[in-house]
Amino acid sequence: MFTVPKNPLYKRVSRRKFLELGGGAATALGAGSIAVGLNSVITRRPVYAQSSEDAKWRQYEGSKLVFMSENTPPSFAIRDTIKSFYDLTGIEVEVLTDDLPVVMQKVGIDLRSGSSDFHLNYVQDKPIGSVFADYYADLNQWLGDDTLPQAPEGSGEDAWFDNFLKACGWFYDSERLIAFPYDAAIACTFYRQDLFEKYSPQFEAEYGYRMEFTPETTWKNVRDFAKFFTERRLAGEDVPYGFAQHQGSFAWTTQLDIQRMMFAHGRWTDFNIDDKLGSKNPGPTNWGDEQSIKIMQAYKELADVSHPDNLANATLELNTVYQAGQIAMQVQYHEFAASIEDEATSVAAGGKTGYAVCPKGDPEWLVGDGELVNGCNCGIGGIGINGNASEDLQRAAYIFAIWATSEQVQYDVLKGLGGTPTRKSVLQREDVIAAMQRPSTMPNALTFDVVYNYGIKDPHFVLGPKIPEANEYHNILASEAQACVAGSITPEEACINIRDRLNELHEI
Amino acid sequence: MSAVTDAGEFAGALADRPAERGADWGAFTVTHEPATFNRPWSNRFYWVMMLPAIILLACISLYPFFWLIYMSLHSVGEMGQIEGWNDFRNYTRLINDKEFLNGWWLLIKYSAMCMVLEVIIGVFLAVVLNGSRFEKVLVTLFLMPMMMAPVIAGTVWYFLYNGTFGWYHWLFQSLGILDAKSILGDPSTAMFGIVLVDVWQWTPLITLITLAGLKRVPQDQAEANLVDGAGPVKNFLQITLPNLYPFLLIAILLRFMDNFRFIDAILVLTGGGPADATKILPVYLFDVTFSFFKLDRGSAIAFTLLLVTIILGLLLVRVFEDPSQKRAATAAGA
Amino acid sequence: MASREIVQYRSPLRTAYGIFAVVFLAAYLIWSLLPLFIMFVSSIKDLLEAFQLPAVGDWGNAIPTFFNFTPTFAHYENLFVRENFGVYLQNSLIAAAGSAAISVVLGAMTAYGLSRLEFRFKKDLFFWIISTRMAPVVAVIVPLWAIFRGLDLVGTLPGLIIAYTTFNLPFAIWILKGFFDNVPYAIEEAAMCDGCTRLQALREILPLVAPGVGAFLVLCILFAWNDYLFASIIGSGGAKTLPAATRGLVQPQNIQWGSIMAAGVVTTVPMMFLGLLIRRYLVAGLTMGAVRE
Repeated sequence: MFTVPKNPLYKRVSRRKFLELGGGAATALGAGSIAVGLNSVITRRPVYAQSSEDAKWRQYEGSKLVFMSENTPPSFAIRDTIKSFYDLTGIEVEVLTDDLPVVMQKVGIDLRSGSSDFHLNYVQDKPIGSVFADYYADLNQWLGDDTLPQAPEGSGEDAWFDNFLKACGWFYDSERLIAFPYDAAIACTFYRQDLFEKYSPQFEAEYGYRMEFTPETTWKNVRDFAKFFTERRLAGEDVPYGFAQHQGSFAWTTQLDIQRMMFAHGRWTDFNIDDKLGSKNPGPTNWGDEQSIKIMQAYKELADVSHPDNLANATLELNTVYQAGQIAMQVQYHEFAASIEDEATSVAAGGKTGYAVCPKGDPEWLVGDGELVNGCNCGIGGIGINGNASEDLQRAAYIFAIWATSEQVQYDVLKGLGGTPTRKSVLQREDVIAAMQRPSTMPNALTFDVVYNYGIKDPHFVLGPKIPEANEYHNILASEAQACVAGSITPEEACINIRDRLNELHEI
Repeated sequence: MSAVTDAGEFAGALADRPAERGADWGAFTVTHEPATFNRPWSNRFYWVMMLPAIILLACISLYPFFWLIYMSLHSVGEMGQIEGWNDFRNYTRLINDKEFLNGWWLLIKYSAMCMVLEVIIGVFLAVVLNGSRFEKVLVTLFLMPMMMAPVIAGTVWYFLYNGTFGWYHWLFQSLGILDAKSILGDPSTAMFGIVLVDVWQWTPLITLITLAGLKRVPQDQAEANLVDGAGPVKNFLQITLPNLYPFLLIAILLRFMDNFRFIDAILVLTGGGPADATKILPVYLFDVTFSFFKLDRGSAIAFTLLLVTIILGLLLVRVFEDPSQKRAATAAGA
Repeated sequence: MASREIVQYRSPLRTAYGIFAVVFLAAYLIWSLLPLFIMFVSSIKDLLEAFQLPAVGDWGNAIPTFFNFTPTFAHYENLFVRENFGVYLQNSLIAAAGSAAISVVLGAMTAYGLSRLEFRFKKDLFFWIISTRMAPVVAVIVPLWAIFRGLDLVGTLPGLIIAYTTFNLPFAIWILKGFFDNVPYAIEEAAMCDGCTRLQALREILPLVAPGVGAFLVLCILFAWNDYLFASIIGSGGAKTLPAATRGLVQPQNIQWGSIMAAGVVTTVPMMFLGLLIRRYLVAGLTMGAVRE
């Protein structure tokens, strides 16, 4: 799994052997020469700043690259449209897709062993980016390069949605940029609008306020909503359970699930570090303080009025539960909207689902006088270039990265399989604007207003912590939180355990 | 539920049995006489025959083994480079590693639960099956789960257990065994969930081995015992079980080692969760090496795991070759 | 016939036991085959149909609900048309058969030598050989991966074949030694007296062990085919096998249960037939020759 199919079309020559054969001299001569990585082929034709756009795109015609990606819709869509990239550039790109944990293993071993079987990587911000940041090439060196094709609207911070470039491109060092935002999963609330409307009077009679989602809806309200539905369900009524959390066996999303609630209350974070930049030495953690314990208690309360099978459902299964009409609300990533709106797989399709921002912090659960926000987090999948690859391979890979994150491709993906754009300009297209209202031809667009125009903006947006031990950190958080939700330890104990284990992890 | 060996079944089986069966007690194949025909000039031929395999095995087993020991004694950097001797720190920190200790405990618990259930059900099934009219057909059908790749078995059972659309979950709920919480969704039941899958897949192996053993239970002894007035239950405990013992020992050791070796199904079913309730040691090791990339710590954990496996292996080979075991099997027939 | 007379006394008990035995066997049969059956049926159900469950406790509706579907082979079509399962099937076949062939050939040579030769550390050598098979895969896979990486074998079929040889070869040696032990040396001696060379003498006795060797070849295929960890770490990418590919079908947004179940069927059915084929040798094979039927 750590390398790629051998393509019989290309004769494989190891780099050293190639040099022995005197290939180095040939490379120096320029046109038509071949430099070969492990499984790749590179063919270069020199271009100059004043060359035509076409020449810039085609300078590596005949080359072959490998892109290791997560199995997300954009990756499938990219794989399906790879022909157009080949037509444009003459570069053959093989797109390999796998589950995120598997991708992590594969790219980790590839990067750390100093090889470059995968020239292009899917840099999921924290699980991959913060762990392997140092092994990726710095994209800044090509950003203003006239001999390479560039995005017409640029690739600076303004070209992307707020915080996107920081989230997946900057790690520990703001001078280095390791990835372009390629796809995004941003949390927002999915709720059954039909049921909310139906039961609102009853709810209001019991709880004294309306059952609806606005940006002012707090986590405590969510708990009330959940309680309302779950109690009825348990009494045998024909309603779904109220809510469900991201537990299951995917530690990262469990961590994100808790983080949203924590951050909503006084913008609490795990470590006292610059959240968006991250740190290799985060220092002592804030877990175990009064605020964290309070929220862990609230998290447990919410768990108690959630779907009973809470702990079996990771993000993916959770969405299946919602599709099956078993829960009335979920905080889910906006890329899932397409599957919710699909009549063939979902009973919540066809206008039954409303989309809202993540719930806000509740004053009652706040310790001190911090700010209450709609804590919203994300997974931004970047596209990064393997720093072990040769310069020409990296440049060829850059061409692909520019193409794969271009406005046109993102638009095509959105229209096709339901992508998640990262460039602002996509949202300025007229049919995308139209699709943000029902009936929508691009169901993901129904969420765009709440996620792009609200959730990902400061002060609601939380990213962190970017730390090299991110995966172990996710695991620690998930296992203690699950134990707490299961009732085998108290919320206080969970927070204390997390604190001790995190401090031990960082040798404090 | 033990020992329902019916005397009639026994006699019937005896009558059907070919005459020479009774004489054949040799359960063990690794019991040849030492070769006495070696002549120095001929040895080279045999060595040449053996060499390719030995070299290949050395490359793929000895080298990794020493590599593992070496890594476990050093600090290993991000790129897999050795950063120096660290005074057994990889091992000493294991003593305080909650997940490591928990991993061993769960591994033992998991293996023991599998073993107890598989042996009880497997032996019972063999006793019921033995000599019955449909023995051949039924055994063949029972074997089918064993042919399935463990990772596929895990996937299928995950589907069956699923709290939203799983048929077994519906069944458990309808029987009142579980509430809406699915078996894998609760730390207190998740272990049963993964044990059941192992039991489903591997009980037939115990049955097969027991059946082979039952065919070798000395019938004259059993008969004599029955004539002495022993009931079928007593007969089972006094004659059948002692004769089965060497077979069961082999079966148990084999299953024990397989439980150490294979985590495919668990990776699919729970990935070690919820709340680490199924994070048996090999699963934890998998996390440390492939998710956290801690090669040094991983090597130390792997070494402890290997050590225990080797001890179990030695035990198994003992059982295979132990003359007293063989005597036990044959003496019963004498 | 003494025992028969004793039986007559216990006739009612015997009837009760007989009924109990039948019930138990039937129950076990259902327990054993139901998951396989559900796997198969789910593979020909459409996604929403596969999600249909009756209400809790509604036993009457269980069977109608379960069979309430229109059979579709779309999932199988999806596997082979969209998901490249043809290639994975081929990979599985080549890797399993290749490793089985190498293991049995090298294993037979070694087993023959071990069987005929007596030397000082033979026991230790033998134990070392078998211990290679017992090692937990997770424990040894990192160093193995490092070696394979160095030899540029990761992600290739030859790499996978060698990886499978790590567990198939010791197994073959162990089992086949038992076979050669049972062949009297006298046969070779006689052949050599007739003027055969040692190699020719070996050829004389090969037919005697051939049927067993065939059965264990099949068993080696079965072990290799069902492997997952090696396939996912050493193999996948260029040499994705069926079990690894099946796992890969679990994807964000839609778990393709129909396709996963279909992949399960595709992976499992050939092995079931192989299992039937070597039914006689299965016990010996799975107990490393310790127990024979």
